[in-house]
Amino acid sequence: MNKQTVISAKHLKKAFGKGESIQVIYSDLNIDIYKGDFTVIMGSSGAGKSTLMYSLSGMDKPDGGEIHFDGTDITKLNNDRLAVFRRKQCGFVFQQIYLIDKMNLMDNVITAGVLTNKDREDIKNRAKELFSLVNIPENTWRKTSSQISGGEAQRAGIVRAVINSPNVLFADEPTGALNSANSGAVLDVFTSLHKEGQSIVMVTHDKKSALRGNRIIYIKDGKIYGECDLGQFEQDNMERTEKLNKFIEEMGW
Amino acid sequence: MKLRIMKPRIMKLHSMKKISTLTLHNLNKAKGQYISFGVFICLTAFIINIALVLAFQTFNAYERLFDQLSTADINFIIPQVQDHEDLLTEVEGIDGVSFVEKHDGVFTPVTVREFADSDFDMNTVFYNLDEERTLNLFDVTASSEKSDSSVYIPMYMKELGGFAEGGSIIYSIDGKEHTYDVGGILLEMQYGNYGTGMIGGYFPEAVYEDFAQEYSDHVITEYSLKISGTADLGEMKNTITEVLREKGIALLNINDRDTSKQTRTMVCTLLIVIFLALAAIILVVSIFLSNFRIRSAIEDELAQMGVLKAIGYTSQLIIASTVMPYMLVGIISTVIGIALSYSVLPSVAGILAIQSGFSYTPEFDILALLIVLLTLTCAILLFSYISAGKIHKLEPINAIRGITGKESTGQNILLFIVSFGIMVLLSFAGTLLYNVNVKPDNFMNTLSEELPSVIFTAEDGKMSELKELLEDDSRVRLFMEYASVPVSYEDGSLTAFVCEDFSKATNDICFEGHSPVNGNEIAVGNAISEKYPIGSKIELTVHDQSADYIVTGYIQSVNNAGAVCQLTSEGYEKIGETTNSLNVYLYDKNAGELINEYEENHDAIIKSSVNFEQMSENGQMMYTGIVSVIVVILFIISVLMVLLVIYVLINSMISRRRQEFGIYKAIGYTNRQLTVKTALSFIPVVAVASIISAIAGLWYLPAINNVIFSLIGAIKNHFEVSVWILIVFAGMFTAVAFLISILLSAPIKRITAYSLLKD
Repeated sequence: MNKQTVISAKHLKKAFGKGESIQVIYSDLNIDIYKGDFTVIMGSSGAGKSTLMYSLSGMDKPDGGEIHFDGTDITKLNNDRLAVFRRKQCGFVFQQIYLIDKMNLMDNVITAGVLTNKDREDIKNRAKELFSLVNIPENTWRKTSSQISGGEAQRAGIVRAVINSPNVLFADEPTGALNSANSGAVLDVFTSLHKEGQSIVMVTHDKKSALRGNRIIYIKDGKIYGECDLGQFEQDNMERTEKLNKFIEEMGW
Repeated sequence: MKLRIMKPRIMKLHSMKKISTLTLHNLNKAKGQYISFGVFICLTAFIINIALVLAFQTFNAYERLFDQLSTADINFIIPQVQDHEDLLTEVEGIDGVSFVEKHDGVFTPVTVREFADSDFDMNTVFYNLDEERTLNLFDVTASSEKSDSSVYIPMYMKELGGFAEGGSIIYSIDGKEHTYDVGGILLEMQYGNYGTGMIGGYFPEAVYEDFAQEYSDHVITEYSLKISGTADLGEMKNTITEVLREKGIALLNINDRDTSKQTRTMVCTLLIVIFLALAAIILVVSIFLSNFRIRSAIEDELAQMGVLKAIGYTSQLIIASTVMPYMLVGIISTVIGIALSYSVLPSVAGILAIQSGFSYTPEFDILALLIVLLTLTCAILLFSYISAGKIHKLEPINAIRGITGKESTGQNILLFIVSFGIMVLLSFAGTLLYNVNVKPDNFMNTLSEELPSVIFTAEDGKMSELKELLEDDSRVRLFMEYASVPVSYEDGSLTAFVCEDFSKATNDICFEGHSPVNGNEIAVGNAISEKYPIGSKIELTVHDQSADYIVTGYIQSVNNAGAVCQLTSEGYEKIGETTNSLNVYLYDKNAGELINEYEENHDAIIKSSVNFEQMSENGQMMYTGIVSVIVVILFIISVLMVLLVIYVLINSMISRRRQEFGIYKAIGYTNRQLTVKTALSFIPVVAVASIISAIAGLWYLPAINNVIFSLIGAIKNHFEVSVWILIVFAGMFTAVAFLISILLSAPIKRITAYSLLKD
């Protein structure tokens, strides 16, 4: 089956530090992200999973190489043009959630929505739909992040991330700060969004989270060390679980 | 073309929409900080607007009244016996003179009894109130019934002297007392303030006729001139002086609109300068404060800034949402400050009327409003934009990970600068208070020439006897011949201070070179110092006698706009008659008692006496009142600034170090210990800054005083700067800062250890 490439990165280089203390994260990394995929990036700590994801999303600049995102080489864009690019193309979900303090959930979502939509009512209506989709009740919309649970906050974070219907939704360890029940609820939202056709790139070291993806990429030694096609997520599909277990074991997890 | 114009507007509006939620959120989450910033800006706007309205309207009000009352541009006075028709023709023919009017008057030195509870010697010109005139009109602002013994007096005599319509006034002329009913108070722009060395008095026709008959030797003709717009006042005065000299006519006095204006608006100018300097300090403090607040906010909310960048906010949008609350608060506070200033402006104008001798009601001033609004808005925009500029450099991923790349806010630097600035204010206020209220001679010496206790005028030929008497009087510390007399020079008239020996003088008003020692020497005032360098010659004339003098130094005087000079008695006697005036300096303050005793026991020797001790005290009272108002304002503003600055710092500290406080509480620190610890953390910087500022005050305070006083002609001020007073102020300031810190740290008590840690 021919998949449409939404991000194509060639010969990526990234290092931190200088001189003798330089730490090379990757030196010649190539990767494609396909439209409609739920791509999961895995790897050991310090392998450069998040660094790669943030490079692909234009949040961070690689030291070398090209990243073509929906036809645009984003390595050539300056910071402000990258910001404008991100508002249209990317949505982000963070491990620490990072809703704006003391701002209620609805306003958090509107803050992102107004960047692409002039009509505040449109944004509100879309936010209400999305809040319903992620099971955040109406009486919570006017609460701030400190007044709700971590799971609710992260689901609100997802609403903020998708309010502008991004081309790709990026998630960095989205369940890393949540308990098991809240993690499940958040992952269900990702699955629902994926089923609706949302392209997702998620970094995780959690197998349960990784199982939600259909394509698993393993990073090691600054390269794509292995790749596994899990197929679409199905609840309690032991075959997929075993396939993932086997894959990551082979990768040296 | 239309599209090109419209497009940026639409984009701008859309950008505003994008940041409105964020802006409101920023405003909401740090209300206290914005309120404190707003208070500062409100205060700044309040003070600047007062200064600007005074600057625009006092001088304009002067000009307006000057025009309304058709005041002459130049007035000069000559003895009527020397006047003749040819002179009028000649004056009318001077190039630039557009209109000339002559008035009759009686010009004589008088002692005004009970002028602010004392006797006040004044050169006075009495006019006929009912004479028809087109120039030098007056406005009767208050009156009682006209009687056979009425006199109408200028507002200055009411405001400062304490005379009111319906009351009485006593003029003593050559020892003879004349009591008049005060028929009314006049607003006039010619001789309405004694700073010009001359005051007016107006009699109803019948009273005037009697008075002129009694003092026929003193009857004068006043020439009042209107000049065309392009003519130069100085040149015109020179020409007039020359014409009179050629004709051998004595010039008793000449004044012009600029000199009068400068004299009558002296305190106003001082106030404007002080207010503007004060506003500048407050503005600098508020800018540092907002800078600190913005930088702290960026550091505190680094991750959120990163998230905003991640979701597509450009640096400009984030900066705009950071700057916008300051702009909104700044503009609203400025408008409030301006509005509030109008509630006190009438009172300020009232205080100024005491010295200026004319009153007006300040009106709403759109130009002042625009200047204040634009200045403050631009300053806030510029500095908050620069402070927020750091946002440009934030990489979103680094920001989310908490990497700023640079070290931080400089709380201690802010505190140091603010403490230093506040100490400058306090030191200035303290020095002003000390030199006006505690050691008033310093202030009075700055504004005056000599400050004797008593001035005696001896009867002709009795000077030696008077001196012998004083020599034997144990109460007398010093006496010397000293008098103020009018003399003429080529450009007009000067007030000459004539003294037998200037080395005996108690007030050194010489700011360059030295006072005259020999009969051919002269020291000239700051008004003519540029024209007459030290070593040059100046010719002085009294009536038809002239002599040349060599300039040995420069002296200062805030009166007569610096048109003054010093001559030795020997020098003056070359052109004028011996003065019979003696300055007497006493050990104690008992001038009244001495005068009574001498007038009673030595009537044949004493022609007249002036209680100068009382007069100085009265003058002091006027300035003490104005200075006290300024000092109280400075103190209130200083305390307010300390309060607000420490509030901002403590707020920021509590929000940044919540966890640390939580840990302290968890391991057993009491609220009291934490409160004191927080308060104490500010003290070293405050103490060091205030002590350095106090010591530096020894250098900067004289510089500030020099600048301020030189604006009114007192090039050399006699202010003492006591380092001990400054150190005491520094100690008090530190203690107040500590107490305020303790009070403002109180919120720590209300937060439990658990909640602190949970955050």
